[in-house]
Amino acid sequence: MTEFIALAELCEKLETTKKRLAMIEYASDFLQKLNPDEVEPAVSMLLGRAFPKWDQRVLEVSWATLSGILGRLTDADWSVFREAFNKTGDVGAAAKALFESSRIKKQATLFGEKPLTVLKVRKTFEAIAETSGHGSRERKERLLETLLGAAKPLEAKYIVKILIGEMRTGFHEGLMEVTVSKTFNLPLRLVQHATMLTGDIGEVAAIAKTRGEEGIKRLGFRLFKPVKPMLAQTAKDAKEALEELGGEAAFEYKLDGARIQVHKSGSVVKVFSRRLTDVTDSLPEIVEQVQNEVRAKDAILEGEVIAVGEDGNPMLFQHLMRRFRRVHEIEEMTKEVPVRLYLFDVLYVDGENLVSLPYTERRKKLAEIAPCIPLTKQIVTKDVEVAARFLETAMSEGHEGLVAKKLDSPYTPGVRGKRWFKIKPVLEPLDLVIVAAEYGYGRRHGWLSDYYLAAKDEETGKFLVVGKTFKGLTDEEIATMTRRLKGLTLKDERRRVIVAPKIVVEVAYNEIQKSPKYECGMALRFARITRIRDDKTPEEADTIKKVREIYQKQFEKKANY
Amino acid sequence: MITSISILVDEATYDITPDGMKLRAMDPSRVAMVDFEWPKTVFDEYACDAPTKMCLNITELLKLLKRAGKDEAVELSLDEKTGRLQVTISGKYTRTFNMPTLEAAEEEVPTPKLAFNAKIKATTQGLREAIEDAALVSDHVRIEVDPEKLVLHATGDLMGANIELKKGSDALLDLEVKETVKATFSLSYLNEIIKTAAATSDIATLEFSTDMPIKLDFQQPKEGKLTFYLAPRIEVE
Repeated sequence: MTEFIALAELCEKLETTKKRLAMIEYASDFLQKLNPDEVEPAVSMLLGRAFPKWDQRVLEVSWATLSGILGRLTDADWSVFREAFNKTGDVGAAAKALFESSRIKKQATLFGEKPLTVLKVRKTFEAIAETSGHGSRERKERLLETLLGAAKPLEAKYIVKILIGEMRTGFHEGLMEVTVSKTFNLPLRLVQHATMLTGDIGEVAAIAKTRGEEGIKRLGFRLFKPVKPMLAQTAKDAKEALEELGGEAAFEYKLDGARIQVHKSGSVVKVFSRRLTDVTDSLPEIVEQVQNEVRAKDAILEGEVIAVGEDGNPMLFQHLMRRFRRVHEIEEMTKEVPVRLYLFDVLYVDGENLVSLPYTERRKKLAEIAPCIPLTKQIVTKDVEVAARFLETAMSEGHEGLVAKKLDSPYTPGVRGKRWFKIKPVLEPLDLVIVAAEYGYGRRHGWLSDYYLAAKDEETGKFLVVGKTFKGLTDEEIATMTRRLKGLTLKDERRRVIVAPKIVVEVAYNEIQKSPKYECGMALRFARITRIRDDKTPEEADTIKKVREIYQKQFEKKANY
Repeated sequence: MITSISILVDEATYDITPDGMKLRAMDPSRVAMVDFEWPKTVFDEYACDAPTKMCLNITELLKLLKRAGKDEAVELSLDEKTGRLQVTISGKYTRTFNMPTLEAAEEEVPTPKLAFNAKIKATTQGLREAIEDAALVSDHVRIEVDPEKLVLHATGDLMGANIELKKGSDALLDLEVKETVKATFSLSYLNEIIKTAAATSDIATLEFSTDMPIKLDFQQPKEGKLTFYLAPRIEVE
């Protein structure tokens, strides 16, 4: 039985070392010593997860619950907690400080205490995820309290990190794949492939431990276990994409919807989101369509669902999102926000793994098994002009842009390679003023790295926030920005500072959404800073009126809502 | 009765023998356990040919049983072929529910081996009120027993409470103390246990030792038995 403290000590070592090779070695030593049934739980926890990646169970522990329990277990001197948090930006480390600073008042158990083990921690997570019905909140709290009560301070640090899903040891999945490959003497490519098939490196490690290379080689796709989607890089325009892809490529409409993975076996259909969450229940009409229209017993398909207005034109992304994760009144929502499915890839059909087939073959196969479901509109061309016109047509129909795909490319799950390129003309950038900033987390905890972006309302003269971003600046720029903003501070709210509106930045974004979050009623989606505009004064920055104009312009091509 | 079990576990396995039914279950945190026996004499009618185990989702069973009114009769029958439990409630009218049984857990729950230094007998009504008083100010309570009295101390963030039950008072029927004992318990458990058990019993016997689990025995009609064990909260230096 491996004690949990061994896992916590490993995490501590991983957190303090920066060297990849050393990290892999530490983790490999640890994996070697595990019992077979401990491998998957330990690997999941090292990556900051309570359960394997494909597992839909969740702990759902709120900070209110957690802090209440920390309070009951310790004397709860919250100033100790705050100080540790401000120093490290890490809730787990702050919890550890709290444990160390006070006597623990804990709940004993009936049959005595044994040290926590990896399996015991997993078992408790399972029990927490499974509580339901009358009094479930209380039972969940008792389970957590008993778990944390039995924990040493260092163990508490990592239990808390797993509970809130912020491991931040720098030991990510990629390194885990290398570690598994090294520990069990398997080619890295094989490990990566197996991870893609099973959807979880923990399970791959467990199979490697018990059944070795043979076991790994025999893995196939598993229906209802979603795999990570293949990703695309960004190309500036059709010309760049064609150059990158060897002169000829397929161009597909990039729809402004949600990417989904559909698994079918007989009449059972499940739909997974891009992040591998089960969204089957939110999309009953898609399930029905796949049941009726897909001519294969078993299949794994990929496509995009978009919300459409009455006129058949795509609606803004945010309306589609109202359909996802919806659990109540699905029927009304189905009427209010109708969705449409467009397929674009197929990974598996009736026992046959198709990922290594060239793109064109897969597309052919897709048309064969789903003749009545529309595929995303596509052309194959060598001609830059043709591709550019196709892009224009896509844009004028209200879509996001194009995806260019290499004709002979295999499907590489989870990889953002040079085989797919998205071409997505952005809306014109805005020059906005920074009016407040928050300290970041983890590595950035000492820096003001999250910025509130505002445009001036000319009628009132007030700067109104239209978005927030921590993206776009280099570490060096953030450091400089932090110094500058501190000099402009009007009000210090501990983790956030309100600053005088002086600094102008150029901001790119994907869409302007209607949003109740900010006073102006609009919010930038995916805002990122592209330049610091020290050449501009706040008076020269863009106004709310301008933001509203761009917001309105989006509707010229999209169905108004 | 089923309510008292449901506060600790979602699922529980009944041991059914020709002499009656038994259940012993520990909550997932391993902090509390319930030990329950209903001999066949408790029932109006009881029939069992061969011993068997029956694991049920207690929460679901409770929902069905709650449908029975005060003077209505409840009949439970297990169909071993289909593995389903039939719940028939008859009175104003007759309804028959059926629910699945679950795979029985293998793990046997042992009886804690404990030596107690103090034993008190009290009315469940009195205990219930005392515990509710304490729950007003805190989520845990320290219980002290000396040869003269039982004292409950509760300290919350803002308020405190001190509740005294003297020997010979209406609530405290009897007191046997070898030495003074002190132990602290979570009210989240204690309150629920006493509240639900009070519905089935008028008199409780509590046994303590310092910083050790408490045993709470709730006197049942005929030869029935309802006993809880609850581990204390302790301070670690």
